[in-house]
Amino acid sequence: MDTLQLLGRIGIFGARVLRAAVTGQVPLRSFLALLNQVIQRCMLPVMAVVFPFGMVLSLQGLQIFALYGSQRLLSPFVAAAIIRELSPVMASTLVAAQGGSSFAAELGAMRIKDELDATDVMGVDSIAFHAAPRVLALTLACPVLNLMGCVSGIVGGYVSAVLIKGEPGGIFLSELWNLTGPADVWGTLIKTTVFGVVIGLLSCYLGYHTTGGAAGVGRAVNHTVVYSILAFIAANYLLTSAFFGGAV
Amino acid sequence: MAFVAACGRFGLFLAAFVNASWRRPPPPGQVLNEAYRIGVRSLPVLVIIAVFVGTNLALQGYKAFAPLGGQRLVGMFVATAGIREMAPVIAAAMIAAKAGTEMASQIAVMRIREQIDALEVMAVDPLWYLILPRLLGIMLVLPALTIVAIFVTLASSYLVTIWQLNLSGAVFVEFAREAISGIDFIYCMIKGLAFGIIIALVSCFFGFNAGNGPEGVGRATNGAVVTVSVVVVFLNYLLSEVFYG
Repeated sequence: MDTLQLLGRIGIFGARVLRAAVTGQVPLRSFLALLNQVIQRCMLPVMAVVFPFGMVLSLQGLQIFALYGSQRLLSPFVAAAIIRELSPVMASTLVAAQGGSSFAAELGAMRIKDELDATDVMGVDSIAFHAAPRVLALTLACPVLNLMGCVSGIVGGYVSAVLIKGEPGGIFLSELWNLTGPADVWGTLIKTTVFGVVIGLLSCYLGYHTTGGAAGVGRAVNHTVVYSILAFIAANYLLTSAFFGGAV
Repeated sequence: MAFVAACGRFGLFLAAFVNASWRRPPPPGQVLNEAYRIGVRSLPVLVIIAVFVGTNLALQGYKAFAPLGGQRLVGMFVATAGIREMAPVIAAAMIAAKAGTEMASQIAVMRIREQIDALEVMAVDPLWYLILPRLLGIMLVLPALTIVAIFVTLASSYLVTIWQLNLSGAVFVEFAREAISGIDFIYCMIKGLAFGIIIALVSCFFGFNAGNGPEGVGRATNGAVVTVSVVVVFLNYLLSEVFYG
């Protein structure tokens, strides 16, 4: 019952954000500044997490493919796994952990210091002014960061397979796109846009409705990370089934 | 530059912690309490995540191998990727997101309310009193949670394989068995232990160094979870290279 109520409240919150975006009440300047800020903050963590995942993928993939003497299948496999699954999930996890939680902390601190009420008192809609630009920034930042993650993951696979294990680099590069097509790129972009919406709504909702002082801010950040990861992982299964899982 | 300074501060923090705790037993009763809080209360979150990781591993394995006529390899792919890599990392990431952020924000709140200073005034070493139970508790439960994650991942990908992909369950089990052996579970538990130590120490470090006010708590919590995820994934590569390379 609690969960249902929460979902309803988040839905209303999302509708207010959407209305603010459609009617042009969102301040463009602060939206761009926040977008810049979230991409800058998340860029390094995203790349630093997807890169070693590419390396691990090469390491383990090489062992499976070596069993059948088909090491040339390694690079298309790495590219497909990174683009379809690993980079969207890992990049979004880091966006939730870094970008979402910092937005929740900012909004939470504003709530605790009554800054949000002050905005409302001045006749400015605090959701449109403070929350909506953050939701939109996360929505747009997630696919961009995902693309950076894809590149760094494939480079990680190359480093592990070619530079460390000594597989021929020419074969790795020429076979790279054998399993991936434009549909996969669209798939990964749509997926991460959805994840960005989920992370943005949850983090800004939880930050906006913080209660209970400094400890409440910590709780909001904690819940943001946990709930947004849970929500987009569940969405991921449905989206993967829709885009890639036509086997039934 | 700031990064190097932070590493140095972490080193000093670690030295102070070891110096304060290495010859004293943990505060009585606290370890099991922390183990319960970290382990049992993170379990539902971990199980849900592991279910979806398993479903997606099966779908992606199918999609990657079907063009080569290798549907039968799905079991092997799920077992290798799921058990050796995904389960330990996912377990660590979720514990970092749930229990690690909790540690960081609790300790940060104690810091800004000057409760940590109060402990020192009472001649109780805060490093020993606050960190040691959390460290031992997480070391106790994370290897076990890793094993739980492995079984949930395998079970959910098995169900997807037989119901959604309409492949034979027996073939799945046969290939999965071929791909892994008992030693993999030991490796996973070692990984879990190492990740647990990282989560506890880094989260507590961020909590202890929290800045002022509510923003300080938010920033500490935020920094802890990001740093832990990056370090855990890098450490996972190093450990995999050692175990399987």
